[in-house]
This record gives sequence, C-alpha cells and structure tokens, in this order.
Amino acid sequence: MPSFNDRNLIPRGLERCSLQGFALRLAPWLLLFAFGAYCIYLCLRFGLNQTNMDNRFAFGLWIFLDLTVIALGAGAFFTGFLLYLMKWKALKSVINSAVIIGFVCYSGAMVALAVDVGQPLRAWFTFWHPNVHSMLTEVSFCITCYLTVLAVEYIPILLKNRKLKQIPSFLVFEFELHKVIPVLAAVGTLLSFFHQGSLGGLYGVLRGRPFAYREGFAIWPSTFFLFILSAIAVGPSFILLTTKLAEKLSRKPLVRGGVYQMLGKTSGVLLTVYVALKSVDTLIWLNKTSQAAGFTPFEFYTFKPFGTWILFAEIVLLGLVPALLLLSSRMRARPAVLTGAAILACCGVALNRFVLTIQTLALPTLPFDEFLSYFPSWQEFGVFAAVLAYGVLVYAVSFRYLPLFPDEKQLTAPVETEELEYVSRS
Amino acid sequence: MFPGVNGFHWTFGHILFVSIFCMVGLVILTTAIVAAYRSWRDARLNREPRIRWQSDFHDLSDRERRCRHMLSGETKSRLCPNAFECRDCVTHPKFVELAPVAEQMVPVETYGMDFPPENYYHRGHAWVRPEENGTLVVGLDDLGRRLIGPPDHVELPAPGTQLENNGVAWRGDRNGVSFRVLAPVEGEVVETGGPDKGWYLRLRPVANKPTDLRHLLHGYEVSGWLRDELDRLQMLLSPEATGPSLADGGVLMEDLSKAQPGANWDKVMGEMFLEP
Repeated sequence: MPSFNDRNLIPRGLERCSLQGFALRLAPWLLLFAFGAYCIYLCLRFGLNQTNMDNRFAFGLWIFLDLTVIALGAGAFFTGFLLYLMKWKALKSVINSAVIIGFVCYSGAMVALAVDVGQPLRAWFTFWHPNVHSMLTEVSFCITCYLTVLAVEYIPILLKNRKLKQIPSFLVFEFELHKVIPVLAAVGTLLSFFHQGSLGGLYGVLRGRPFAYREGFAIWPSTFFLFILSAIAVGPSFILLTTKLAEKLSRKPLVRGGVYQMLGKTSGVLLTVYVALKSVDTLIWLNKTSQAAGFTPFEFYTFKPFGTWILFAEIVLLGLVPALLLLSSRMRARPAVLTGAAILACCGVALNRFVLTIQTLALPTLPFDEFLSYFPSWQEFGVFAAVLAYGVLVYAVSFRYLPLFPDEKQLTAPVETEELEYVSRS
Repeated sequence: MFPGVNGFHWTFGHILFVSIFCMVGLVILTTAIVAAYRSWRDARLNREPRIRWQSDFHDLSDRERRCRHMLSGETKSRLCPNAFECRDCVTHPKFVELAPVAEQMVPVETYGMDFPPENYYHRGHAWVRPEENGTLVVGLDDLGRRLIGPPDHVELPAPGTQLENNGVAWRGDRNGVSFRVLAPVEGEVVETGGPDKGWYLRLRPVANKPTDLRHLLHGYEVSGWLRDELDRLQMLLSPEATGPSLADGGVLMEDLSKAQPGANWDKVMGEMFLEP
C-alpha cells in the first residue's frame, strides 16, 4: 500500500513532525469534535430541552463562550488595524496567525450561536425580520459581515500553500488580494468596533436587570465602550499566548522577542485604561445607578458563590495586576511574567463576560424572585468542546501547511546573529 | 423590517441602518471584485513570472536578500529593496561610482570551483555568457551543479518561449526533491541544451533592447558572493543544534546530495535556489 507523504504540502524550509505523528496528535481533538458534532445534532434535532437553560435562564454556557471568543478574537482586527493602518510593521510576523485565530473564534461563535438560536434554516429571518430596537440586530449584521471579511483575509494565507501557489492564477489572485487587504482591515475595524460595543450594550440596556444596567453616553450604555476597550486590550494578549503556545508545542522560535514586547505593552496600556474606566463605572453603578433602582451597594454580592471576591478578581486580580505587569518594561522582559500576565488578562475578560451573562441572570430582581443556579448539560459542554476542537484543528492544520509565521524559517536557521539594517521589502 | 413584512414603515433609522450595511457589503464585494479583475488583467498581460518572483523575494530571509555591495564588502549592512533588479536600483550606480574597482587588478577567489570570469552570475546560481552572434547562453553555475549532481529529470522551456528576468528558466528534480532555476536575464529561448552539454538555454535578447547585464554579478563581486553562499550552505547542512561545524577549507565535493543524503535537501534546494 503506497504511503501518503505530505512533505510537498509543507512550506519549504520549515520543519514539521511526520504525518503519522501529526495525525496521532490530532486524533483526540477529532474525537472531541465528533462528540461535539453529535451534541450539535441532538440540540438541533430535539431542541433546547437538551440543555439546562429555560425561559428564566436563557443565556448559558454558549453565550458565555460566544462573548469570550469574540473578545479574544479581537486580536485579529486590532492587529490588522495596527499593521495596515497604523503601520506597526513588526506585527507582520503575527498577522497571519491573528487572522486565523480571528476566523476560528468568529466562525466558532457563529456555530454556537446557530445551535443556541436553533432553526438554522431560518437564519435569514435575522436579516429580513430584525428587531431594530435590539442591539443584537446590529451584532448579527456586523458579525456576519466581519466573518466574511475574515474569510476573505484567510484566502491569501491559504493560497500561500506550497502546492496552491504553484497554480499561476492562485498566485496572482493571492498577490492582488494581498494588495487590497488594508481596505478589508479598515472595514474589519469598523465592524468589530460596533459589534464588540453592541455586545456590551446588550447588557447595559437591560433595565430589568439592575446588576447589568448602566447609564452611558447618548444611546450607548457604558458597557458598550467597556466591551470595545476590554476586547482590544486582551486581543494582543491572546495573540501573544497562542503564538507562545505554538512555539512551545512546535519547539521552535516563531517570532522575534520584540514582537512579544510590543503585543504585551499594547495590551498593558489598553488594559490600564480599561481598568481605570471599569473602576469608575463600577463606582458610579454601585453609588448611583443601582441605588436609583432600589438596590443598596453590595446587595448583589450577598448571593453565594457570587460574593465580592468576584468583583475583586475581575477588576484587581485579573485586571489591574496584569495591566501593571504588562506596563512595566522590566517585568515584561521576563518571559514567564509576560506569559502569566497575558493569561491573567485573558481570564479577566472571560470572567467579565461570565459575570455579565451568568451572574446577571442568576441574581433575583423582584421581591418574589429567587437566586437561580444553572449548570450546563453534557450536551452544552459537548457543543463547547466542538467549538474548541474545531479551533484547534483549523489552527493546527493551518500551522502545518501554511506559512503562518514569516520569520520562522529565518529564526530556526542556524545562522550567525548579525544586526542588519532593515530595508522595506515593498 | 423590510418591504413585504407586515406593518413595515421606512423611517430615518431604517434608511441609515440599511445604508451603512449595504455600503459595508458593497465595499467588501468591490474589494473582492477589484482583486479578481486585477488578477485577470495580470494573467492576460502574462505578469505571472514577475509576480511570482516578487512574491518569492518577499518571502526570502534577510540573509538571502543581502545586497551585492554588502557581499562584496562595500557596505556593512544593506538588504536589497529591489528584488535583485539592480538596473532599477538608484543606489547601485552610486556604489559603482564610489568604489570603482579595477576588475583586472583583483584576483577572483572561487574556492576551487569553476567560475569563468567571462560569465555573469545570478544569485540563484545561473550564469549568462554573451556570445559573438548576439545570443546569450545560460547555464547552471558550478556550485549549483555540485549541489544537484546529475538531475533525475529536467524540464526545459520549448524554443520560442519568452523568459522574464527572475522567472522560472527550468525545473528539475533529484532524489525526489524538486528544484527550479531562475532565469538570469530576459529573452526568447532559441535552443535548449542540458546538464551534459554544460549549458541549458540559448536566448535571443529582447528585440530592440540592448543586452543589459548590470544586475548580474561579475568579476571581483563573485568572490564575496561565493564565500557567503558557501557559508549559507555550510549552515544548512549543519545539524540545527550544533550550528556550523564543518571544517573550513577544501573544495566542495561533487554530487553533494548523494554524499550527504541525511540532510534536508528540500530546504537546501529551496534556500540555495531562492525558492522560499
């Protein structure tokens, strides 16, 4: 039996493990994906009775997952914005990876959302019969458009595959598409700005939920702006983390140290601004907004397990601490601190989305209301796992067959380290 | 929201909302159409070889993109910004003006390999020799020849084919590893040779255009470039963990790919023939 060798599909000069080894490493993720696909089938076939959500607890694990991955995926649009519009050329070495992470995050979120909403054959209703008073209308329009942008941005990376670029028309199309990518980066920035904001605004306008309700500017509650800021603050951290993870797993340097410093510093500066604004927002909410709704400060935090520790963890432990660590050039220079701070920052945004989704719905709002608890069903976990496995599979296959990190070949070559004057490659 | 939906009435908000998203959709669509149209135009104008080289050059490492004047020691560090097209370079004439070396005075070190001084050399290991009848003979230089050894298969362009400078001149493979050699100069193929003949192509220069070989290495420049190429090769053939460890000196042996079968020849061929 002839054995298939994929060497001719791997970019020249890059070392990758054997196909068998690669398949073996992907096998658990394929199994997980298959299990998740079965859960998706169950949910779509039998409906939301497969979940532990109900009319009272309508947002669960999936919405938490959606909000988190969309925030983490912000690294794609923000890196594109910094590279193509602000001309931060050093980010060229992570832009391909950032685009794929963004694509994986957004497409994964779309899948989870499709399962959550159900009836995928009627998905077009969202566009033809939208509720124009809902922030979600803006979110669905923006996310659909942005996913299209990400898919178009993925094409040139895909066409850089060693075999595909041998086809003249593909090579030329990749070249021409690459030239117009800055336009797509600008469109992506506009779309991301609004849908990240609207996702936050969605909670901020919930007057019936005083825990989430916020005042703001014009039609936008403060959560609109905080969601944008938190997403662009952790986006670079997530790019940093995924690149570090890829380096760890492949045991190869993929980007220069300066790029990590740049991503870390960007995250640090934005996270500091976010933590400051979030703190002001929390103080206004505790002392004014919630009191106007008839709630005393910290009344929301009397229901266990959501004590004041969660507020402390969100703002200080997973906000202020990583912000300060990333701001300090001395601390940032230590790889373990840099990675640790990036992990904390990403966990911080996840906790923020958890608080707004789960804690908001768990807290009672009316005198006869009770504190509700919710734990996802195994089918919900299965869908979550499917999205996670899908992300790992797409990224792993892309890493193997596409030149995700342009500097990889140069960094892995045993050449002497010599400082060269940088001349634009244009 | 839209017409046909029960109870729908257009308001300013609807118009604004729909207009913004139609505009965004239009921008995305237009961008894709523009890229597709330009690709079609490029294909029609046969720009593929030039685009392929630009794309490849963009992906070369810093070391591979070193300026010829850096290799010859005229400048400490400089990367080529012109895809090795020195004829379009504004800095190249300045270097030539600043350091006019009398070629006859400088002995050319070729490290035991055969690099005839009358030939002009391309960084991708092809050479050109202008003939008295006005044609240009193109071949593979001695380093390239020793690297590949006797190729298992060579695919030469048919006579009549127009070659672009830095376009693919010919392809081949050895021990399952494919390689391609870049055309060192533009012209029309009038005759094909092969590994046994010592040359591969005979070209007729582009009509009404004097042959300009300024972009190719010649004379004293060959030494510095060869030294760098041998260094690069030594690095490529060294185990990653140890770095360069081969002894200096000696002459590069014949049929290197046969002599060192354990090396990653796919990588070596790619780097030495400038194919990222």
